[in-house]
Amino acid sequence: MKFIKSGFTIIAASLLLLNCTKEEPLPPLDDISGLGGDTWVPTAIDKWIYDSLTKPYNISIKYKWELGEVDLNRTLVPPREEQIIPVLTAIKKVWIDTYLSEAGPLFLKNIAPKFFILVGSPAYNGDGSIKLGTAEGGRKVVLYDINNFRVKGMPGYNPNTDTAGVLEQFHTIQHEFAHILDQNVRVPIAFSSSSANSYTSDWLNVTDEDAKNNGFISPYGNSSRDEDWAEMVGFQLVSGRGYFDGYVNSIDPANVSETGITGAQAQQRLRSKEATVVQYFDQAWNIDFRQLQTKTRDAINSILY
Amino acid sequence: MKKYFLGLCGLVLLAVSSCRKVDDSSVFGQSPDQRINETLAKYQAQLSGAQYGWKGIVATNEGGNFTFYFSFNDSNRVKMLSSFDSVSATVLKESSFRLKALQQPSLLFDTYSYIHQLADPNPAVNGGEAGVGLGADFEYWFNGAESSADTIVLMGTINRTKTKLIRATQQERDDFLNGELAGGLAINKILNYYKRFVVNGTDSTDAFIFSRGSYIIRPDDNGNLLDDSRGVTYTLKLGGLEFSEPIVVGTKTISELSNVNYDVATNTITATGDGQPVKISGVVTPIKVDMAAPARWWNFAFDAGSYWITEQGFHINGVDDAHGLANIPGYFGFSIFWPQYGVSGGVNYDLLAPITPNAAGAAAIRFGAAYRPPVFSADGRVTFPLLGTLGTANIPASATGIFGNLRSQMAIPQGYYLVQIDDDEAAPAYHMVSAADGLAWVTWVY
Repeated sequence: MKFIKSGFTIIAASLLLLNCTKEEPLPPLDDISGLGGDTWVPTAIDKWIYDSLTKPYNISIKYKWELGEVDLNRTLVPPREEQIIPVLTAIKKVWIDTYLSEAGPLFLKNIAPKFFILVGSPAYNGDGSIKLGTAEGGRKVVLYDINNFRVKGMPGYNPNTDTAGVLEQFHTIQHEFAHILDQNVRVPIAFSSSSANSYTSDWLNVTDEDAKNNGFISPYGNSSRDEDWAEMVGFQLVSGRGYFDGYVNSIDPANVSETGITGAQAQQRLRSKEATVVQYFDQAWNIDFRQLQTKTRDAINSILY
Repeated sequence: MKKYFLGLCGLVLLAVSSCRKVDDSSVFGQSPDQRINETLAKYQAQLSGAQYGWKGIVATNEGGNFTFYFSFNDSNRVKMLSSFDSVSATVLKESSFRLKALQQPSLLFDTYSYIHQLADPNPAVNGGEAGVGLGADFEYWFNGAESSADTIVLMGTINRTKTKLIRATQQERDDFLNGELAGGLAINKILNYYKRFVVNGTDSTDAFIFSRGSYIIRPDDNGNLLDDSRGVTYTLKLGGLEFSEPIVVGTKTISELSNVNYDVATNTITATGDGQPVKISGVVTPIKVDMAAPARWWNFAFDAGSYWITEQGFHINGVDDAHGLANIPGYFGFSIFWPQYGVSGGVNYDLLAPITPNAAGAAAIRFGAAYRPPVFSADGRVTFPLLGTLGTANIPASATGIFGNLRSQMAIPQGYYLVQIDDDEAAPAYHMVSAADGLAWVTWVY
């Protein structure tokens, strides 16, 4: 028995040796198609994006169609090439340059979303509404309806019909960026405590008037704490302080909403949320919100009127 | 003991055989990456190598086929023309494309151009359903099995449409660049409900063209549009258009039209159809009128105590929703015609009303135009004598003009012909066509 055992050991060792005798060289590395991202012959648009956004702020823009970057369930189309630079210039002026002057380049390089995906058409929801923007994980923002974005100086610009869409697009960016700020430094619970019992997922059936009388800046803000935050920041920056004050003051304090909120309560809700926004920007990011608000509004006026 | 020994022998054998040199050269001789790169390069060379570009037949699921012209280069740029409208047919547009190894070697038209007009989910672009468009593709995989040196077959990845590229000749390239793709668009110049086709000056038929889907249908023996077998689709091509199957005009058939010319003064198109002279003109009174249709239409809703619905109101002179009902504040997207809605001054009146919100925001009849009982004439027309306006105080100030135009259009003294377009027992549908000029009509659905 003992003899056999040692024989087994010897044979097993020789098996290992046999297995190890040959060493094959690795096959030559192939040129794997698409490894490292798609390539194409760069155009003036690509150069502009690299020089104006990618190099200074770590922001990359994807404007060429890539199915994997968007919602597979929706019919969408890529943007018109002639829209890319004017749209990005306007965005840079209203969003990047204003934050830059208030918070400095390091803030933007760190916090700004790293990918913008541009889509030509709006994204239609099943219920008939349309989506103009989405943000994911603080890194990626998808902007829709780029083909209908027109500001002063672009062919066919009509201030009577085009400003609403452009304002909405800026609102989308500020709204999404507010989400990203929140995802990096959480907004204090005090923001939503006064409104907490009025949030409803059925926001599509909330009218503008209902939202106002319940103390929300918009029906969408009425949907949840996160959206309330993003809408509060978005509306205050894009529509300005005058608009916000007018909005709050237009509520009749004696009014009682369908859900039992008095006008005075609604006003108090909006004012308390407004104060939290200002406080949060100062404490979390060392940004003077009032100055940012003024500069954003000025930038918008300069490109629209 | 013996068992151990056998087992050991087996192990040794295994070890020896596992070390045998295996021929690892692949069945194809090259690695998958080498092959995919080679295939993409081959297609790129084929696309940009066509000296005179490519003629494309681009299919959609909802809007028929469109003819394109493509000219690809080797630096991701493509110029194209399309039969979509008079601009796309005559002005070359440049955009980008790239070849990419997706599940299959694929061709992506990756910035917006004419091909995306078909897929655009915005109804303002192509008249398709919101969020759907015409069901078209702009990202395709190469169907190598069906392709050859002069033909490339592309399969859409999302809507699974099939597009065919055919190597263009020098003549075709010149014709495309001379704007001849716009020739067939003349078919849309005649804005009358009925187009009368006359072949050789003797044989004639009426036809109605559905603006969406490039669908053209001849009335049946009763004057209605209920017989699908009388419908064909058409595709615009260089200098004219071709039908999906020959269209019957009396004793003649025509499968295509060429040399298409529109004369504004006479509102007439002249063309050559399969070698015969073809004249197409707008007509007001069709060859065959369904005399019973107006009463059948009116009684259907009356008997049910219910109403007919129109979403867009009147189409006039080629414009959908010509009165702008969509601009009425709060418009719910439809208007109704309700036979014998109420009684006023002893008159049982019919009501035509855009639907708008009431104080609670719900859909309601807040105002409308009231008509005396309809008059059915012996020649198959119906007229709606105006009685008055219901709920005048509820008409939004910005909508008074819109509503006023709608109210008087309905009351035109010449009245309307009714053409049944759906004979579903529970949900029939009709076109109500102006007998004054044939330029205005409304679609009623139940």
